[in-house]
Amino acid sequence: MSTVGAIAGVELRRFLKDRSNIFFVFVFPLLLVLLIGSAFGGSSGGRVALAGPDGSLRSALTAALEDAQVDVNVVDADHMRELVARGRADVGVLLPDEAVAADDDGSDLQLQVIPGAQAQSQVTAQRVHTAVQKLATEQGQVAALATAGIDADTARAALGSAARMVSPPRLAVVNVSEIAQEFSGLGQFDYGAGSQVLLFVFLTSLAGSATLIQARRQGVIRRTLAAPVSTAQAVGGLAIGRLAIAAFQGAYIMAASTLLFGVDWGNLALALLVMVTFALVAAGAAMVLGSVLDNAAAASGVGVGLGLVLAALGGAMYPLEFFPDTLRTVAHVTPHAWASEALAEIQRHNGTLVDILPQLGVLLAFAVVLLVLGSWTLRRSLARAI
Amino acid sequence: MRRTDMRQLWTMTASDLRQRVRDKSVIIFALLVPLALMFVFNLTFGGAQDVTLEKIDVAVSMPDGDQLAAALVAAALDSEAVQVNRTAAPADEIRGLVQSGEVAMGIVVPEGFGAAVTAGQEAVVDVVQGDQGELEGAVVVAVLQSVLDRLAAGTVAAIAGGQLGLPHDQLAALAQAAATAGPQFTLTEGEASTEQLSSSATLVAGQAGLFLLFTVGFGVLGLLAEREQGTLARLRSMPMPPGLIVAAKGLVSYILGVVATTVLLVVGGRLFDVSFGSPPAVAVLVLCVVAAGVSLMFIIARVARTAEQATVSQSILAMVLGMSAGAFFPITAGGALGQLMDLNPIAAFMRGLGITNGGGGIGDIGTPVLIMLGFAALTAAASRIVPDRGADL
Repeated sequence: MSTVGAIAGVELRRFLKDRSNIFFVFVFPLLLVLLIGSAFGGSSGGRVALAGPDGSLRSALTAALEDAQVDVNVVDADHMRELVARGRADVGVLLPDEAVAADDDGSDLQLQVIPGAQAQSQVTAQRVHTAVQKLATEQGQVAALATAGIDADTARAALGSAARMVSPPRLAVVNVSEIAQEFSGLGQFDYGAGSQVLLFVFLTSLAGSATLIQARRQGVIRRTLAAPVSTAQAVGGLAIGRLAIAAFQGAYIMAASTLLFGVDWGNLALALLVMVTFALVAAGAAMVLGSVLDNAAAASGVGVGLGLVLAALGGAMYPLEFFPDTLRTVAHVTPHAWASEALAEIQRHNGTLVDILPQLGVLLAFAVVLLVLGSWTLRRSLARAI
Repeated sequence: MRRTDMRQLWTMTASDLRQRVRDKSVIIFALLVPLALMFVFNLTFGGAQDVTLEKIDVAVSMPDGDQLAAALVAAALDSEAVQVNRTAAPADEIRGLVQSGEVAMGIVVPEGFGAAVTAGQEAVVDVVQGDQGELEGAVVVAVLQSVLDRLAAGTVAAIAGGQLGLPHDQLAALAQAAATAGPQFTLTEGEASTEQLSSSATLVAGQAGLFLLFTVGFGVLGLLAEREQGTLARLRSMPMPPGLIVAAKGLVSYILGVVATTVLLVVGGRLFDVSFGSPPAVAVLVLCVVAAGVSLMFIIARVARTAEQATVSQSILAMVLGMSAGAFFPITAGGALGQLMDLNPIAAFMRGLGITNGGGGIGDIGTPVLIMLGFAALTAAASRIVPDRGADL
């Protein structure tokens, strides 16, 4: 057993000493958790690019939009169109010169709205509409009092004090949809952290399968076997080494995202169990890849490609809950989808061991098949000329 | 350049190209991985973006004979913003109807709504949303808010009028007038920029740009591998100018980059039914972005000590430049950061494809072309200046 442990230890030490891993193993995953968290959990009511001459109309509209939690970016007209075209704003609003003049003398005015192509654009466009109507009614109040013979300044003062006495009618929106319920108790970074654990445990393992090829190519494994070490011990050591690397990557992201972003994992012991089981699957996949291919560069290419594709398909880039039904079924050919479900159960529903047994079972089956296959192909590859 | 130089240049380039094509890694990295990613991304989140609003079913409960409540519901549901099928239901059943998916949305206007609004007392309109019609529902909520704002404005005007001593019988008319007396603010749909890439087109352009930075590494970064294997020294002993060896590597990168990017744009375009517009203009963009990518590799080749360091720096730069260009999802950044990100050649490439997609020709892509060529020139110049850290290897 100590032989197996020694070989596994060397694998992990080599991985940790490789300075080229610093960015992709330690920095990049956290950057992604941050990016996904800010894209996912942001409470913005939309992004508007506003173009028009500086003045009371522009500042009033900006204030009304910001009241409705809309992010406003004031730019010139060409830049506004560009922001909308590039998806950097949901909606563009143009205040033409005539509108500003009309606003100054209190006559009717026209604003231009340029909706973007994203789904969110239509909602944001309606929020712009609501904000504009609010401006119009504010002027309407003054105008109505003016027709009753009250001058504008007195009217504004009276309106201000009346507004403080009134509780305006309001909306209370409840969302009973399953998706909204699913994500309601979830912290801003919780989904991102969970999905990045799955993405990187697999990606790091598969991309690292190239080292297995180097070890075979450079004769390290042959030399190991020259010592009093059986093939089974060598293969076992390499497999446990792969597992150690995968579990290290997962544990690192879990620890760092908890410390930096306050991610809540639910029952931590269960979350760790899911992560380690998933790491077993990743280790098995890395063994298969590293012994079926003989070209290290090709292996890292296939590894990175497969790592990204499986993660995207398995809901580690975009939540499974948002997938169309058929695609969600297809997604379950990936271990990511099962692990993602198990983590969701623990993080969002206080799931217990019994609740995640089906997912753990499937992951274990994946792991056993891949580890057996990986050990078998690795043993065969040792006998093959390279 | 003499004829023999040309022949030597081509011999080295052709031999490298042959090796790279036989070595499966270039095919995997340059073509298979990006195509697979485009396919899966398009499947999972490509379709989520381009949607139109559909007609939704809304269940409404409101007090009988309440004029303001009726006005609120009518204004919100008969607006042009969303088409609605309206059904009446008792207040306590609405949540269940939404939950079971029978209707997309429920609205409950409370008893005494009209009286409370007129008196300036709090009234809460409950809205229940479900799985379906999330967007449509959000639009209806925004319209409801707009009507409530107007009602509140009327109440405030009436109370202000009362404080200013206007006769009581005028106040109701005043409240009504507040909603209509002001100038009309109308919104018209302005002229949009046609340079908008659809979400599928963004995926194709973004992945092509991102993986270009991996593809161009196969030529230039081969210099480091050759140095480690000792074949570079042997090449240098040949009777030819040393610059020719570097030029051949650059040419290999350039050819691989142009071929891979063209294939990705054409195949990706076919697969996802996307057209990027004028082929000559797209070709110019491809030539420019590949030039920028190749120059970047020359800096890496100088700064990295070993082939492994070079591969890692290349992957980091590719990921950072690709992601900040919006290869995965659009990145919002304003001000100085936004301008800095616009100098990214991949962002300029995607921007250029947006312009050609909108019908722009070679004359319209000046800015992105200048950014890409400027980036290429600057990095090429920098790669001459930075010290060659691997020279003593």
